[in-house]
Amino acid sequence: MARTPLNSIVAQRRSKSKSYRQSYRSCLGASSRLGLTPALTARRLNTSRRAPKSHNITEKLNPEQLALLTKTEWKMSYVTPLYQFRHTQLKSYSRQLSAFIAAEKQQGLAIEVEGSESSFRVSFSVLSGMAETDEDPETVLLQIFSKPMFARQDEPQRSVWSGWLACINGNPDYLRSLPKDFICLPLFGSYGPDALTSVVQSWFQQNFDCYFGPLEINHTIMPPLQITYTINPEDAWELWSSVRKVPQEEKEGKEEEGSSIDIDEVMRFMQGLKSHFYRHFRLDLSVGTLVQVSTALGSAKCNGRIKISNSRYMITTLTLLTEGALLKMPI
Amino acid sequence: MSLLKPFSKLPALNTANILLVESEEQFQQSLADALVEETAVTVNVRLAKSLPLPKENEESRPRIDLVVFIINMTSERSFKSAEASLKYLDPGYFLGKVCFLATNVRNASVPTEYLDAVRKLAASLHCPLLFAEDQTPDGVANATERLLTILKVAAGLVPMATALYVSSLTRCSVPPDIDQPSFD
Amino acid sequence: MDDLTKRLLQRLIRRMPAQMLKTTLEKWDRLTAAQQQSLDFTQPKWALIETLLTIFEENEFTVKHITELEMLHVINNPNQGMWHAFHLMDPDDTAITVELTQFKEQFKSHLRELVRHVSIKIKKHTDEAVWIRIAWGDGFSKPNHLKPTYVVHHLQTPYVFVTSLTSKQKPLLSQALTLSTRHQGIKDANLSGRKLTAIRDLLMKQYQQVFTTRYPSPLEETNQPVSNPRIEREQAGLLANRLQMACEAFGYGVLPQLQSAVYKLETKYKDDTNKTMTEREEPFRCVVKFASSNLLESIRQCASSGIASTPVTPLLSSIPIKGRNYFVIKDNGLGPS
Repeated sequence: MARTPLNSIVAQRRSKSKSYRQSYRSCLGASSRLGLTPALTARRLNTSRRAPKSHNITEKLNPEQLALLTKTEWKMSYVTPLYQFRHTQLKSYSRQLSAFIAAEKQQGLAIEVEGSESSFRVSFSVLSGMAETDEDPETVLLQIFSKPMFARQDEPQRSVWSGWLACINGNPDYLRSLPKDFICLPLFGSYGPDALTSVVQSWFQQNFDCYFGPLEINHTIMPPLQITYTINPEDAWELWSSVRKVPQEEKEGKEEEGSSIDIDEVMRFMQGLKSHFYRHFRLDLSVGTLVQVSTALGSAKCNGRIKISNSRYMITTLTLLTEGALLKMPI
Repeated sequence: MSLLKPFSKLPALNTANILLVESEEQFQQSLADALVEETAVTVNVRLAKSLPLPKENEESRPRIDLVVFIINMTSERSFKSAEASLKYLDPGYFLGKVCFLATNVRNASVPTEYLDAVRKLAASLHCPLLFAEDQTPDGVANATERLLTILKVAAGLVPMATALYVSSLTRCSVPPDIDQPSFD
Repeated sequence: MDDLTKRLLQRLIRRMPAQMLKTTLEKWDRLTAAQQQSLDFTQPKWALIETLLTIFEENEFTVKHITELEMLHVINNPNQGMWHAFHLMDPDDTAITVELTQFKEQFKSHLRELVRHVSIKIKKHTDEAVWIRIAWGDGFSKPNHLKPTYVVHHLQTPYVFVTSLTSKQKPLLSQALTLSTRHQGIKDANLSGRKLTAIRDLLMKQYQQVFTTRYPSPLEETNQPVSNPRIEREQAGLLANRLQMACEAFGYGVLPQLQSAVYKLETKYKDDTNKTMTEREEPFRCVVKFASSNLLESIRQCASSGIASTPVTPLLSSIPIKGRNYFVIKDNGLGPS
């Protein structure tokens, strides 16, 4: 359906403020927002934001890394700030995590990776060029390789799990407010067997005193009836243009300036799609929940799985997700 | 427009009447079944999908002591329907005889803006906002107990307590800066 | 047995759960009692396959035997794969007289005229359905038994159900079918689903269809009985009305299990608040897909619970009434597709 992943996060956005860290503390997920407590901390909705900018990321990343990032459906989580994490220690972390996985396996942890029973090798590396501001820590890529048990000596190891930690355009006020020894990489994407994901997470939790939590992107319940609504791109664009406050021609001139997108416009666009649907099927879409959105930029599912299909808007997408992760985490 | 009025009828002895309004008509039935189990007072339950209530039932309908709007947080329409129904209530009800009951709030991915909207609505009308779990028997029992507490006061069955007084303690409030514009 | 035959057998056995394999082999009745006894169905699949391979070699079974076993399995488990319905058109005067032997001969000879290498097996099932298994080859290659097409046709009806048919094979099959059933043509019935029985019931109207009769008490059909005299439903009339409407559109018996319905909409965008779009000449193009484990049941549920407004739109009620689940909608109504 039609709410883009960007827009769905638009609505969750809260602003910078002095009480920034405090306000984060107030949203331990929905459960902490329950109750009649009269004075919950401030939460402000950002109702308007600039149109996304495109970035030519191909110059910064090598094609292999870019392919990995854009061809994979990532399961997203948030991570609280890492205590004493050093980008200079990645080699040592690789060894430590390899040993940790081996130890877990010895203790009987079932890590089922098809056809590979031998040891795992972990590699940490920096994906330089992803960070947008000076305050963003560099993105860290993790890969776990394995070799089949009876493989020949010269057979290459293959990657069985990948993950990354990133902070793109993280809120500077928040980043500055952290004590010195903390590195904030709030966005964690993973791909591979869940058993490995949880071993990696527990290693991070033990070593850097952090916490991982799910980054749901929107609604969850799956109604018994699933509806997929695909709109012809040209028609969708015309509808979008018709609900914009600023006429399209004017806007194009100052694309780089970044015209703003207002929540009202997004709402009207959605309403337009819903009423067209209702006119035909007499079914009110607002009864159900939106579980997945796919556009040319990529797809986002409510369970926190994302896929980025357009590298030019990867940075923008990750910026929004970084913001989402910062908002979700309890500190 | 026919308004539902709180004092247009006489109360019956040791009786409390509650109206459950829910556009989905899902939770209200199990809640009603649990509410009428109450033995200390006679509880009558009226179920409605939305307001206004049908004119033809006006005769038979007892005095409604408490109106409960059940809002399913995973459905935008549920909220809109409750919002639209509000204007069919006499202002007198808002002196402690209306409450909101939100379900599915623990569903972690309920968009935050819905929750904000419900809280703002409840706060602007000075009504309490309760949260309930509708899927488990415990949740239903819990919600029933809380509703009964409010209902008994609203029906004037609790000595020394009035609906208005209790509502000044239980009503939902919203942080003052929820509506402030953001920085960028 | 050559490698290909072995692979065919392995694939077939892997597809069947152990218990189903046991009953299928018994029904097949080509193994000796001793061989049947020697099979231990609690063994892992690969061990079972080994044993069966030995037995098949002993008995000198060929591809023919394995396809026979496969057909038996498919006939007994028709609710697998994606079935598409076709509609035979314009029957000749003699169409009604076509009987099984004649159909078999004609179909085989017509298809063999069109395709050099083709393996056809025809079997009549107890429920009057004729089952056809086709393994396709072409001018140069032998029939590929790993990807057979299955066709189910009830003689003297215009309906044909097909699974695993490629677009290349479609015209060949169509021609053979129209000739051997003595019709002038065949067209897509715009109905497909995973359950052959469901789409067959829907097309041949074999399910309990009570669209026009009055329902004695729709309230009894729901799980919302107002049991206690102290509970009163204010809008009981509306509820009863919704149930009535839902049942009028979909009946109130068990509905055939369809998994999806697709609408290709090319209609004008109308919205009083949006002048630009409403004045636009071109239609608004979109595709809407409904999916559920039991689609018709879900839609009926939506109507009776008030999620869908009643009366049910003809777009949705057309699924059972017209027996199709693919529609192209243009502004002049349900257009051809």
